Amino acid sequence: MDTKQKHFPPKWPDRFLEFYCTPSRLEQIQGDAYEIFYMNLEEKGLAFARFRFFIHVLSFFRWNNIKKSNSTYQSYNQGAMLKNYFKIGWRNLVKQKGTTFISVFGLAAAVGCCMVAYLFIANIWFKGLHQPNKDEIYQLTYTAEGENGLVTYGSVGRPLAEMIPDKLNMIQRTTQVMRDFPILIQKNESYNQRSLYVDPTFMEMFVYRMDYGYPGALDDPSQVILTHELSEKLFGDTHPIGQELSLVTNGEEKLYKVGGVLADLHDMDMFTFDLLVNIETHPVSTDDIPLKDSWRDELWAFIQVEKGADIAQMESGLISLTKIQNQVNPEKPYQKLELVAFSDLVYKVGEIENGVRDFLGLGPQILLGAIGLFILILAIFNYVNISVLMASKRLKEIGIRKVIGSRRSQLVFQFLSENLMVCLFAMILGCLLAGFIFLPGFNEIASKNLKIDLLRDPFIWMFMGGMLVSITLISGLYPAIYVSSFKPINILKGNQKIGSKSTFTSVLLTFQFTLAIISIVAGIAFVQTNYINSNRDWGYDSADKIIVNVPNQEDYLPLKNKLSALASVTEVSGSQDYVGNWIREEVLDFGQEKYEISLLNAEANYPELLGLQLKQGRLFNSDLISDTQESVIVNQTFLDQLGLEFPLSEKITLDSVNYTVVGVVEDFHTIFFQSAIDPMVIRASPDTTFNYLTLQVTDGSAETTMASVKKIWHETVPRGLFEGKLQTEVFEREFSDVEGVRNILLFSAILAVLLAALGLFGLVSLNMNSHIKDYCVRKVFGADMGDLSVKLYKRYLIIWGIAGVLGGAFSILIISNFLDSFFAFHSGVGVLPIGTGLVLLLLVVAGTVGSQIWKIVKANPAVILKSE
Amino acid sequence: MKGYHLGELEELILLTVGILDQEAYGVSVLEEIKNQTGRKVNISAIHTVLNRLEDKGFLKSEMGGATEERGGRRKRLFTLSATGRAAIEEVKTLRNKMYDQIPPFALDLSYGH
Repeated sequence: MDTKQKHFPPKWPDRFLEFYCTPSRLEQIQGDAYEIFYMNLEEKGLAFARFRFFIHVLSFFRWNNIKKSNSTYQSYNQGAMLKNYFKIGWRNLVKQKGTTFISVFGLAAAVGCCMVAYLFIANIWFKGLHQPNKDEIYQLTYTAEGENGLVTYGSVGRPLAEMIPDKLNMIQRTTQVMRDFPILIQKNESYNQRSLYVDPTFMEMFVYRMDYGYPGALDDPSQVILTHELSEKLFGDTHPIGQELSLVTNGEEKLYKVGGVLADLHDMDMFTFDLLVNIETHPVSTDDIPLKDSWRDELWAFIQVEKGADIAQMESGLISLTKIQNQVNPEKPYQKLELVAFSDLVYKVGEIENGVRDFLGLGPQILLGAIGLFILILAIFNYVNISVLMASKRLKEIGIRKVIGSRRSQLVFQFLSENLMVCLFAMILGCLLAGFIFLPGFNEIASKNLKIDLLRDPFIWMFMGGMLVSITLISGLYPAIYVSSFKPINILKGNQKIGSKSTFTSVLLTFQFTLAIISIVAGIAFVQTNYINSNRDWGYDSADKIIVNVPNQEDYLPLKNKLSALASVTEVSGSQDYVGNWIREEVLDFGQEKYEISLLNAEANYPELLGLQLKQGRLFNSDLISDTQESVIVNQTFLDQLGLEFPLSEKITLDSVNYTVVGVVEDFHTIFFQSAIDPMVIRASPDTTFNYLTLQVTDGSAETTMASVKKIWHETVPRGLFEGKLQTEVFEREFSDVEGVRNILLFSAILAVLLAALGLFGLVSLNMNSHIKDYCVRKVFGADMGDLSVKLYKRYLIIWGIAGVLGGAFSILIISNFLDSFFAFHSGVGVLPIGTGLVLLLLVVAGTVGSQIWKIVKANPAVILKSE
Repeated sequence: MKGYHLGELEELILLTVGILDQEAYGVSVLEEIKNQTGRKVNISAIHTVLNRLEDKGFLKSEMGGATEERGGRRKRLFTLSATGRAAIEEVKTLRNKMYDQIPPFALDLSYGH
């Protein structure tokens, strides 16, 4: 007996048994288990007894022995209760169609906006994450001494990339990836396309779905793989496989066949490209160049390691690679080579030079995110306001439920379940809105290719689930807890008062109005700025001019001669860059100081041809040799920034040559209004060849001349890419970009106003319904429309006033900053946008409240007071 | 035919409870079966069958007989009910009846050799 007293069955299994076992059976089961334990203890020893005890506890874990949280009867009841919550909720929603519509529509619009914003942002941050091998892929990067400390580069010397398989172990595949922009010629049309020159293993390492052909197409070096978009652009509906096209790199033309077409990438790929080409066919592979020079051809090197390989173990291989590189190429020694995980590439955008991804474009992300959040807050506040008010109509129901014995948690659950239903509808409707209306519109504006991919994108489900839960809780928790806190005695006695008079509602409404004003101001300020900019004087005469590019020096003179011979061309001038595009920057010496200026090299007749407005001095005279050798013209900003007056007493120095400033022209816009005007020097360069030709044509003939110019151009330059355009069209892209932003802002402003109006309408009409008797009694006693209006309007006008002050202040702060980041030239947030915003909102308030006043005016007090 | 539908283990345990008479509970049934047939049955299986037989009405039970080994916990003591006794009887009769119908040569083990 002593041994028995010393040992006890193991504690944890015993507790587990007590935890799960139903009380009616616990005693016999535990007793038997103990008895067997002591039997085993005597016969086979402690360890065995303990082990058997544990096994027995597990074997008793059967359905009949398990304790149910409540009795079976109760658990059935809970299911019924749950059903009941939703049934009552459903009836309530159906009964209040108007308010339900307001809530669902508002939330759905907000969900749609958030969805677009999410997709846009996710599209940037989740690039490449759909690749199945992403966890095994790494990019080789190196760190070297730069001008300002250490810099990490994403591209490595080509021979180095070829040595990887020998020097590193546990590698499954490697591929080199080289970017180039060859001219693609197909059926006499030429295009500039982004190409990736890759090893055939690229298609094994990265998995793409194919529309046509198969991923192994690159094994044949004469084949290329196109993206869906490029294939559509080149071949339209015809079957692309086997079609021919040629690529021109470094003046060499090569013929290829289409071997495959990728399925639409939806902008989700890590790489931005139009076609994939086998790297063996690129001149860097075919040309015989010394090792030292081939080192200068840098490209991206990707490796795929074996599953579960330890990256730290490759350190020695990387070190020996670094040594080899530093022996061959001692001028630019590497500090170290590193492997960067494929999925980290997006996050390291700023850290890796020459990497796969260069910029994230935070501005548009913040803008869209902010708009989505604005609309979401508006919609949620609407919903909170309305549901508090709706609950006030159900006070009796709450009282009765409480008296009968409903717990507070049950009431909270009742309200939350209704909330959940509304939010679920809103989610579904929001997805539909986003998928069929918002996204197509947005894709058009932003020239994106976003899509809600419910089948392949797990993140979108996470996002939607998270959104559903958070909207439900944020919008539902306050009303549910607030309303369920009332004492039944007060409710049933009729003492409990809630309604639109609460400060909480007023605060929410003020906030909503403020948001609405900010978004209206943003929209209108942007429209105003756009309008002013589109009418802004560019500072020169842009009419009747054609710009054409000259790809090769030897083509310059023939092209110029042939184009001058055209009947409608009156004058031709060459320039290194052209006005309307980026112009190269140079450092200028003046006195003891150095200045950064834009330098436009051109023929002497260029300023005159362009119609620059002379302010002081003179333009170039082509006949004067001194003008083409030592004279320059500057713009007004140049004088302003250097603090000079014309005529200048000193000469200015460029590249250690001295120039005399012979004239000053008025400022003109070389680049779009997003940037300020830089100080500019125009030099009549003695060079005989330029990159661009500007043609002055006879009045109104620019568009008709374009066709013949293009024809001549192609005759002269057989394998080139024609980039001719009208001088009036140089800002085309920028204008359409800005217009896109304007449309988004206007859309969000309209939506914000609509939501605010709907919310207000819901609030006022619910309020009116519960107080209609009050107003009718007043009416009977002789209150006229004026009295009633004052009573009704007073509160909303106060809220409007506060919101106006807040919104005005915030928009001056936020929107001016926003405009500053967008334009160097804008009209600022003036009286017009804020005034319009305030008036618009006032109209909304007046209209909504007015419609309710009209209801009273029309109402017959006798009917309303008689009923009930 | 009115069926009692006893499974093999059910029949075995029902018989054991009958044999043990007033002293039948989980562990004792387990021991008795081990002694009589040499079979090791899991204790939890015995519990399940005992409870099932009680649900079917073949057994009655009461709590009692706490011992020190059980940590002072009582046993659930099972006894045969009238139905249970009748069930055993019937199973036995049925079995004997069928046994008797087997033609004699089937019993002749030398047959065929």
